[in-house]
Amino acid sequence: MEILTGNELMSGATVYLDRSGKWVEELQQARVFLKEESEAKDAALAVTKKGGRVISLEVETVTLRDGAIYPDRIRERIRAEGPTAPRFDRQHLDEDGHVSI
Amino acid sequence: MLDLAAPGIRAHKPDKLRQLGIMSLNGMFDEMDGVGVLRQAVTELLPGDVAIVSSFGADSSVLLHMVSEVDKDLPVYFLETGKHFPETLEYVETLKQRLGLTNVIALHPDAKDIERFDPKGNLWETDPDSCCHIRKTEPLEATVKGFGGWITGRKRFQTSERGVLPHFELTSDDRIKVNPLAYFSDADITTYKLKYGLPEHPLYSRGYKSIGCAPCTSVVAEGEDPRAGRWRGLNKKECGIHFDFNGAIAKPMAEQELNLWKDGKFIADPFHPWVEGDDPASVRYTHIPLPVFLERRDAVLANPHPVGLLVSPGDNVELVKGDLDRFSSIAINFPAFGDGRGYSSARLIVERYGYKGEVRAVGDVLHDQVSHMRRCGMTAFVVKHEPTRKALEDGKLATVDIFYQPVGLTEIPLGTRPFLRRAVENA
Amino acid sequence: MYRYDEFDAAFVKERTAQFSDQVARRLSGELNEDQFRPLRLMNGLYLQLHAYMLRIAVPYGTMNSRQMRTLAHIARTYDRGYGHFTTRQNIQFNWPKLRDIPKILEDLAAVEMHAIQTSGNCIRNITTDQFAGAAADEIIDPRPVAEILRQWSSLHPEFSYLPRKFKIAMSGSTADRAAIRFHDIGLQATTNGLGEIGWQVWVGGGLGRTPMIAKMISGFVPHEHLLAYLESILRVYNRYGRRDNKYKARIKILVHETGIETIREQVEEEFAHVKGGVLTLPQEELDRITRYFAEPDYELVNQTSVDVAREKILNPPYGRWLERNLNAHRQAGYVSITISLKPVGGAPGDATDKQMDVIADLAERYSHDELRVSHEQNIVLPYVKITDLPSVYATLVEHGLAEGNAGQITDIICCPGLDFCALANARSIPLAQELTRKFAAPERQAEIGDLKIKISGCINACGHHHVGHIGILGVEKKGTELYQITVGGDATENAAIGDILGHGFVAEDVPNAIERLVDAYIARRESPSEPFIAAFRRLGKQPFKEALYGDA
Repeated sequence: MEILTGNELMSGATVYLDRSGKWVEELQQARVFLKEESEAKDAALAVTKKGGRVISLEVETVTLRDGAIYPDRIRERIRAEGPTAPRFDRQHLDEDGHVSI
Repeated sequence: MLDLAAPGIRAHKPDKLRQLGIMSLNGMFDEMDGVGVLRQAVTELLPGDVAIVSSFGADSSVLLHMVSEVDKDLPVYFLETGKHFPETLEYVETLKQRLGLTNVIALHPDAKDIERFDPKGNLWETDPDSCCHIRKTEPLEATVKGFGGWITGRKRFQTSERGVLPHFELTSDDRIKVNPLAYFSDADITTYKLKYGLPEHPLYSRGYKSIGCAPCTSVVAEGEDPRAGRWRGLNKKECGIHFDFNGAIAKPMAEQELNLWKDGKFIADPFHPWVEGDDPASVRYTHIPLPVFLERRDAVLANPHPVGLLVSPGDNVELVKGDLDRFSSIAINFPAFGDGRGYSSARLIVERYGYKGEVRAVGDVLHDQVSHMRRCGMTAFVVKHEPTRKALEDGKLATVDIFYQPVGLTEIPLGTRPFLRRAVENA
Repeated sequence: MYRYDEFDAAFVKERTAQFSDQVARRLSGELNEDQFRPLRLMNGLYLQLHAYMLRIAVPYGTMNSRQMRTLAHIARTYDRGYGHFTTRQNIQFNWPKLRDIPKILEDLAAVEMHAIQTSGNCIRNITTDQFAGAAADEIIDPRPVAEILRQWSSLHPEFSYLPRKFKIAMSGSTADRAAIRFHDIGLQATTNGLGEIGWQVWVGGGLGRTPMIAKMISGFVPHEHLLAYLESILRVYNRYGRRDNKYKARIKILVHETGIETIREQVEEEFAHVKGGVLTLPQEELDRITRYFAEPDYELVNQTSVDVAREKILNPPYGRWLERNLNAHRQAGYVSITISLKPVGGAPGDATDKQMDVIADLAERYSHDELRVSHEQNIVLPYVKITDLPSVYATLVEHGLAEGNAGQITDIICCPGLDFCALANARSIPLAQELTRKFAAPERQAEIGDLKIKISGCINACGHHHVGHIGILGVEKKGTELYQITVGGDATENAAIGDILGHGFVAEDVPNAIERLVDAYIARRESPSEPFIAAFRRLGKQPFKEALYGDA
């Protein structure tokens, strides 16, 4: 299973593609692409790349733990939460940072 | 004699027999027997169906003299482009009188075309191909249709495409081209002129060896390709009228093809890219890749046409330092803007080896690198990136125009640090 | 210190305007990310894990109080109230927003600062000894030449798209405190047979995935030809450095693959052309720049020494601070002070906006309005009167800046690691915090003595782990962070790259592993005055390997 993630251009904040095609802050709202949905995933990537408002796009592999999305990489878990030390809240989107594909 | 003047001669499908017939004429005449060739064409091959276009340029007197020997009434067309030197117009009259030519006809461009495409008369500056098109190709095309054959003044030695030029040719639209001077060398022309005491074009002695319209003609250096003076700087290829008359002639350039930024404006780029399979011995207005030059150095040096050198990342410009002056332009290739080797190559070419010609950047030429390129000696830019093009046109290139370090030949003393200024003054 | 003239000010202003224009073009969509990335990088703007990161240049680590206060202002206004000082003597802000960058750059420009060339494949900030101009062991103050190099390298049109980044470090003292042998070019002040001062030039050093100790390419280059010589090296590198593989693109690989002899020949050939040309530095220009760095008007100070032993009894923390954080000064009655940014449990190199303001005040009041950033991620007040030490110390205590641990086991160099960095594979800050807690006891630190621990969260080695006496490299293996330990590295004139002794450890086991190394050292040292690194050189790696992994 995979999710799409990137950083929003203005704030640099971590965002995830959700089911409605919006880029949102919350990992748990991310759309999970199954293996057979690779076409939809590629299409979403291509459109986003063209739009230019979400950068540093990545496909991340995840598993579901008790129904929650759990990224395989530590890096992704930290990206979703913010730095562990010193502990800082993650970056948030500005008002005009809410984009969809 | 072969009966080639029979009806059907202008059938638009060249037939093999006819082609062979014409080919067989080649070889019938002594190489230097221009008058014989001409007489064959005018009296046997195409009676009443052949004409000549003359530029009344530096070499025109020889062919016109031959015409006068064969038929003083032969139609002689002159493209009155409206851009000729006064000396050329004067020369038309001189030759008419001296040779007794009775049928010199001036062809003028269509006034509507001029009105529409060149109201200010400066089209040649930005788009020489289009200028040629409306002033030469269009007027001539209409006239050409009425004749089955043409007499040209082309010579083998002049250009590569003419290297195998025969006396008689059949064009793709089934017309016959007659080339009485095909085998004449430069020296033969001079000898002929002397022998018959033909008057010189008034500009010839002033260094103009190949004379076209005034704006696009400049002086040719001693020993240089005589045609190098045509379209110099603009470096246009060749005027369309010598190509096939049925369409392979210059087309007006679309606006977006003006992609060479030079001297503060976009102009038509006379150069066309090197293509795999091009012959370095005969290409013209092409930047020959440096490795190809090294491999075929002698052939390139013997190539009589204006050619450039293409320097790509990884090429060692040291290897060609002694030959740089042979090139009328050097292109520094930036296949990707992040590859900065071209900056060093350009500095060596300009600063160390003293190359004075055009150094242009080609490839990934983008807004934010242009000022670095300039500082390293590049003066022309082939721009394909639309926002960059716009920034250049609008004069809105975001640059830092003051510099800490001395680079290039033009920056000192302007804009450099005090110690560098002093260093130069002391030098 | 150097003050901008109109030329410098105009330069930075133009550059700021240029980048503002580039940001506007990015926001309008005219520039796509591929085109914008190298431009923002050349202006110090990275995209990290959570946000953008802006790296601001502190040329050769030297600042005045106004500049430091502006950094504090930026931390407060555009960031989250802190900044991170780096091993390149720069400062990084972790949370700026793209649209604020032009404003930040304008604020910086107002105090003669910028973020030019703090990233990108160009010549980066020139670094040097944090005690430059003050150290007792100095041959020459390297800062005037560093300033000239800053000028020469700023927006150099030929060298803005090099195969890879390019770092130059300089040392004016015989003791190398700037790690010059681990830079693309290292410059070591030296004298020739005639007693003239010039530069020994080292080339091809570096850390990262292929650590290399630089090789000497020239034993002596006089000041007047230094720019020409460096331009020659850069040109050879720009033309022949590898561009096919970014991991092999640094000059160290070129030097390694081509051989120093061949590189020297190429550079000398180039130098023969360039030498004596417009890059020749006239003595009067060197003198003019040097005047900016004139020594302050020192006062006659009655007290020329401090009784550390006595202070250690009267006020142990103060005594320890005096013992560890002072550096011998060329001027009697003065010292240079290291302000430690390595409190127990803190993130190495971080300072809050308030702390930055306090340090600025101290510099203004007690250190001729000058301060330094060290590559070890501390701050230095270079010119402090011995008589002012108690006052300075009192202020430092008040603001949590009085850690007396310079050069000790808790004075750790540490990269931001996976908590911030997009390139990292493992976290490094939590490990540094854990280690400082483990070795927090001052007595324990004093017992251990000089010991440099350096931690990197990935193979790029921003935390200099290769040259730590003990180095720690974080890697990721199957979703867990593992830490590889190296021993025996040295960044100084006795340059050495640490040895990996065996398999890696999970984070929880690292502090105990380090403790075993420390204990092995203490058990085997000849005397308490034999430092860890000296003992390692004498003993070899075997005892340390055993300490880490047992006899097997």
